[in-house]
Amino acid sequence: MGDVFSNLGLGFGVVFQLVQWTPAFLGGVSIPIPVNILLCLIGALVGTLVGVLPGIGTIATVAMLLPITFGLPPVGALIMLAGIYYGAQYGGSTTSILVNIPGEAGSVVTALDGFQMAKQGRAGPALAIAAMGSFFAGCVATVLIAVLGAPLTKLALAFGPAEYFSLMVLGLIFAVVLAKGSVLKAIAMIVFGLLLSMVGSDIETGASRMAFNIPELADGLGFATLAMGLFGFAEIIRNLDAGGETDRQLVQQKVTGLMPTRKDLKDCTPAILRGTALGSILGILPGGGAVIASFAAYTMEKKISKNPERFGRGAIEGVAAPESANNAAAQTSFIPLLTLGIPPNAVMALMVGAMTIHGIVPGPQVMQKQPELVWGMIASMWVGNLMLLIINLPLVGIWVRLLRVPYRLMFPSIVVFCAIGIYSVNNAPTDVMLAGAFGLLGYWLIKHDFEPAPLLLGMVLGPLMEENLRRALLISRGDWTVFATRPVSAVLMAIAAFLLVLAVLPSLRKKRDEVFVESEN
Amino acid sequence: MNLHSRILAAGALAALAGLSALPAQAQSPAYPTRAITMIVPFAAGGPTDVISRIVTAHMAQTLGQSIIIENVVGAGGTTATTRAARATNDGYTLITGHMGTHAASVPLYPKLAYHPEKDFEPIALLAGTPILILAKKDFAPKDLKEFATYVKANVDKVNAAHAGVGSVSHVSCELLNSVLEIKPTGVPFNGTGPAMNALVGGQVDYMCDQIVNAVPQIKGGTIKAYAIATPERNPSLPDVPTTKEAGLPAFQAQAWNAIFAPKGTPPEVIAKLNAAAVKALDDENVRKRLLDLGSVIPPTAERTPASLAALVKSEIAKWTPVVKPAGN
Amino acid sequence: MSETPSHGPVKYIMPKWIRGPQDFVGGVALIAIALFALWASSDLQGMRGFSFGAGTAPRMFGFLLLGLGIAVMIVGLVTDGEHITTYAWRGPLFVSLAILSFAFMIRPMGLIFSAFTSFVISALGTPETRWGQTIIVGICLTAFCSFLFPYALGLPLQMLPKFMIR
Repeated sequence: MGDVFSNLGLGFGVVFQLVQWTPAFLGGVSIPIPVNILLCLIGALVGTLVGVLPGIGTIATVAMLLPITFGLPPVGALIMLAGIYYGAQYGGSTTSILVNIPGEAGSVVTALDGFQMAKQGRAGPALAIAAMGSFFAGCVATVLIAVLGAPLTKLALAFGPAEYFSLMVLGLIFAVVLAKGSVLKAIAMIVFGLLLSMVGSDIETGASRMAFNIPELADGLGFATLAMGLFGFAEIIRNLDAGGETDRQLVQQKVTGLMPTRKDLKDCTPAILRGTALGSILGILPGGGAVIASFAAYTMEKKISKNPERFGRGAIEGVAAPESANNAAAQTSFIPLLTLGIPPNAVMALMVGAMTIHGIVPGPQVMQKQPELVWGMIASMWVGNLMLLIINLPLVGIWVRLLRVPYRLMFPSIVVFCAIGIYSVNNAPTDVMLAGAFGLLGYWLIKHDFEPAPLLLGMVLGPLMEENLRRALLISRGDWTVFATRPVSAVLMAIAAFLLVLAVLPSLRKKRDEVFVESEN
Repeated sequence: MNLHSRILAAGALAALAGLSALPAQAQSPAYPTRAITMIVPFAAGGPTDVISRIVTAHMAQTLGQSIIIENVVGAGGTTATTRAARATNDGYTLITGHMGTHAASVPLYPKLAYHPEKDFEPIALLAGTPILILAKKDFAPKDLKEFATYVKANVDKVNAAHAGVGSVSHVSCELLNSVLEIKPTGVPFNGTGPAMNALVGGQVDYMCDQIVNAVPQIKGGTIKAYAIATPERNPSLPDVPTTKEAGLPAFQAQAWNAIFAPKGTPPEVIAKLNAAAVKALDDENVRKRLLDLGSVIPPTAERTPASLAALVKSEIAKWTPVVKPAGN
Repeated sequence: MSETPSHGPVKYIMPKWIRGPQDFVGGVALIAIALFALWASSDLQGMRGFSFGAGTAPRMFGFLLLGLGIAVMIVGLVTDGEHITTYAWRGPLFVSLAILSFAFMIRPMGLIFSAFTSFVISALGTPETRWGQTIIVGICLTAFCSFLFPYALGLPLQMLPKFMIR
């Protein structure tokens, strides 16, 4: 324990490090400047501003801003990148809530209730609770990394392909529970998503699958392309169709407070706690844990809630829990990087790239060899979360005011931002066209009461599921029993089966009540 | 220097070089007049990207124009390479190609939309990244000879990880397997990180990978290295023997990175770019940063466009019998 | 979802024995998608011994979607459900055109022209557009984007048309 404090002390020492700045015009008087704090602030701010642009998700933001950090000293560069990462993630939630465009898989579920809240004039409380939940989760996760980082690494290494496959099956069950309407249609959408995720090249043989010789499809459909289409463009088209202007005026009249009420906070506290716990654990697992954190948390809230029918219709817990889980997972997903030097996801891979540029290739000894780097980064996580809270609570008012822009001016701007955003991810015009096509598909789905969220989750989980299944079977030489004989995998499978029964049973029983649900709409 | 004297200088240089095409030289005296785009066919932060950034930063100083890195990912780098092949051949769009995009892709993708030799002008070889034979830390064989006997005897049991079809780790492992005359079960991963994770976690037995990612893991004792597939030992891993020393001389592989321009780029532009690249490779700071990554910097004689063209030719010949077409 | 109150249900397209046209048509479309996917993945290799081939998973999900499509269709046949609402043409058409114009213009014409054109075309998507306002906002937005993406974010985006650079 004493170690932890001295290590954290070292970390905060790095973060609060002052550099003496002696400008000539002051005649030799030097001013101490907290360079790393400033870098953290700039990172969080820039990350938020870029992440908030619809069409640009977390990975794209970090990739875009990565070169900016090349000119900085290594510790400063990483602190700034970490700030960009959290900022982008939080910015992505903002677009989910305000305009129903999730920037990455984690904020898909935030869009479900967050956007409904915005429609009811409660965008302010939704944004504020997202910031508060994230901050709390960030604090807990920072402590967790500092105290248990090294032992938790074992968990990451214990997860082999069989365990990941079972985890992904569990994830798909979560996606079923997310749906607010028909379970059958939700499953159909998940399978549709899985099918879309098959487009691209086969991981084992490299064969091109359903790509029709279109080079942009060779690596599959991008998440941003699909999300912009199904959520962003489809929402715009639907709004135009429904007379967007009147809709929006209604929202403006409804705007009540900017901050959550006392009742909101009371409702959310347990949700934030549970979300943080779940997210912290899932985040440690490289290769897919963090992806399912937010919707695992959402599913849990919906299942625990006394009135689950509020979910999907603007329940504040439906924003608080996934946002906390998402941020906790984002934080703990640093563990494999900090203890093993292995990047668990695309964003971390970019960070390793940044370190490599500076001549530091992280490995299992990074904690011993570069303690000021590792602990500085851990301390900067906490500082970064604090910055986000400080930046974002005042911004809530501005974002909500943005909703007052007349829709006739708002929607063409969203179209342009989305188009530039998608294009800039890969500099590929085809991606923009694909997003447009998915926009029309999304419009059709809305018309037929199919929900796009399960589709998107199926699309995200599909490759992880197929690849790990195939790896597991290759390693076991075709023996399917590995999923039941490996204990962790067996437990995950059992939970999945249990949840599936829970999800399907009430819907069978509730058939006769459905009339009421429909009329309530 | 004003425009007029630049033309004179260019003419003088051309005359010195013994080139007769003076009018053509005079037409584009001041290349580059605007920023140059360097396409990197992989994500920011990968070995190819890092090498490109280190070298182009110095080249930009020499050329007096900025070089913008454009990371275009997809299909093992072939998406980007196709785009570069179709780019305007004015010297303002270049690409950092590597062993995969400009050699192994030929047998791997029979329908490839470009040919490394016919659609590109070679400019300069930048750096080679040696390939290592790695294994999980408790893998039974103690050295490369034992490893060879062990995998041959237990070919049904061993699993070889790789970072995805067409990746350096994949094609080099195919070469190793063909040298050993074995066909073990290959377990594909999505990139080097996950593959390394599985090796550290002991879920797979061995793999081949570039030195950059492996050095800290080897030094940390989480995995072990049997040999390095270059003619000489690497300063960053002085204890790891070469494949020749360890008894498998036939396994030689390096992931090389080199700059190419679209076919038909004017020769004086190529010469200027080559000179800038050569100068960068002689810079102390650039050399140090490349060596820190475990890279091998080519000797002066191997930095010419002609020697790069020869390298591409020999590499295509080397990989064609080893790499199976994708989809099989 | 009855968030489209301005349009009445279209009853006359469907015969009476289809009790839930929305689900019925939805199911039929899923079947079509599944069949298309099965056709598109028919050239891929199936199981290779104990390991999956390239086509195993796509076909598995294809058949699964086919089954689910049939199930949704049957639900639409036998239970009373929503009718299909009319599709608007103006919004989808102009938003799609705006996206397409951006995709086609960005490479040859550069960011400034393609962003502005795409803004104006998408503004055609609603009759509520007031042109004076739209043009001013369009110009401001284009200016903002031309500063933000290439300069503030350092993205390699081309600003002006190709012919103007040379």
